[in-house]
Amino acid sequence: MKNLGRTIRREMWYILFLVPGVLLFAFAVIAPFVAGVRYSFTNWDGVSRKLTYIGLDNYVNAFQDADLWTVLGNTFKYAIILTILVNVVAILLALLLDSYLPMRNLFRTVFFLPGVISVVLAGFIWSYNYSQGFPKLLSSFGLDVTSPLGNPDQALIGLIIIAVWQGVGTPMIIYIAGLQNIPVELTESARIDGAGPFRVFRSVTLPLLGPSVTINMLLVLTGSLKVFDLVYVTTNGGPGFATEVISTFIYKNAFSSFKAGYGMALSMIFFVILVVVTVVQVSIFRKREVEV
Amino acid sequence: MKITRALVLAVVSVAAVVFLFPLYVALLMALKTAKQTFDSFYALPPSLNLSNFSHAWETSDYPTAFLNSVIVTSLSVSIILVVSALSGYAIARGNKPIYTFFFMLFLSGMMVPFQVTMLPLYQLGKTFDLLNNYWGIVVIYGGFGVQSGVLFFTGFVRGVSREIEEAARIDGCSTPGIFIRIIMPLLKPVTATVLVLNALYIWNDFLLPLLYLQEKAYRTIPLQQYFFFGQYSSDLNLAFAYAVMGLIPIIVFFLFMQRFIVKGIAAGAVKG
Repeated sequence: MKNLGRTIRREMWYILFLVPGVLLFAFAVIAPFVAGVRYSFTNWDGVSRKLTYIGLDNYVNAFQDADLWTVLGNTFKYAIILTILVNVVAILLALLLDSYLPMRNLFRTVFFLPGVISVVLAGFIWSYNYSQGFPKLLSSFGLDVTSPLGNPDQALIGLIIIAVWQGVGTPMIIYIAGLQNIPVELTESARIDGAGPFRVFRSVTLPLLGPSVTINMLLVLTGSLKVFDLVYVTTNGGPGFATEVISTFIYKNAFSSFKAGYGMALSMIFFVILVVVTVVQVSIFRKREVEV
Repeated sequence: MKITRALVLAVVSVAAVVFLFPLYVALLMALKTAKQTFDSFYALPPSLNLSNFSHAWETSDYPTAFLNSVIVTSLSVSIILVVSALSGYAIARGNKPIYTFFFMLFLSGMMVPFQVTMLPLYQLGKTFDLLNNYWGIVVIYGGFGVQSGVLFFTGFVRGVSREIEEAARIDGCSTPGIFIRIIMPLLKPVTATVLVLNALYIWNDFLLPLLYLQEKAYRTIPLQQYFFFGQYSSDLNLAFAYAVMGLIPIIVFFLFMQRFIVKGIAAGAVKG
């Protein structure tokens, strides 16, 4: 009996330990999410107290909204190009820094540094560099350039470059950690068998980096599909509609156009897209991974 | 071999210069006057002139914003650490299905991006009077942070042997006593990981302060920067002085905590 009492008391403590975490989580994540699902079936404007349920109208309208398709196109274009670029640059830097390089810690710091700067600052610094700094530098070589952020055809690329600058640090560190887990004997023996550096990378290093590639692709892709700050502080969706992404589109619908119900329906569509992307991606990459 | 190594060094150095160039321009702008910038864009200033900085210090409420950022970040991170450590310990040691259920719940919560819940969150803030004060935003950051925090702490505690705990229990030590005296001292590495990852995110976050801390007295650094840049877009040298002031605390933090940040990211990748 004494034992039973002790077990019960222990379980009580565990439950008590769990309570604050669950409460915080319920308040900050579950409650807003449930409220959001509810709003998405109403024509609420975001301000008034009155909401009328309109069934699936918001969802039906969303799928017929040409703007939404443009915005999704922009978002995926941004996210896919960025994911590929960031991972390529991060692997390259990781490979270079993994060799016996003098001052490699200093270089690692330099490549990581832009990532700790707030996006507001990065956007401000780059906007200026795009409009003044680079044109002045390149004009001394006789090139005439203008800021890509002001040009509808180049604005998205302009943003991607800023995001690469800020985004390679984290994946690079994960790749360096991944490279250090690859036994030297494997690459050594491939080299002795006559494989050149590119062959060694393609046939030995890259397959063994599988888990790092999976996690980095996933982190960068989901992160960049969610991009908000960078667009909001630099182009705010412009010029025209060229850099409007799903997050800023939701924000404008919800907070500026008084279409909160519609904005929430967009949010839910976005949520489903993110879940699908995550699940698909994880299952594709997990299949290709090789165990050491 | 020597040639390859020199080549690698050269490539990496060029990349490093490219990475640092935008920051160099920012520093240059902050140190020069408008006229000096106009005369020669890339030249170093003729003498060290900090008047932009003192001017920016006076016209902005930099100390207020700095203090706000410190308060919001440290309160949020403290809550996240304490709450996730408690929950993580309970989930790791309790062996009823309910603990697994909550673990999965925290895990799936991470799939819900902030952008999806921002409008209801704003409504929630308005209803419960959480806008324009520290507690509202801190509670929300706490709720965001415990999701990954619990995963980290659960994973770590599962790797700790139960033997010492059992021995302490036989000696009559209660569960809170075990947690405080035996578990907490062991949690240092995972605490450092959770701390740096959350601190970096909260310090730099823009969207939640944009919703919750619009009032001037409560603005954090990124939000205040945003308004300052909008206001002083004509006086760029002043704006850049302010930008550099905003850079300093985070760069100092990064340089001191770099070891933990690097470890934290590597550990986070394994968890994922």
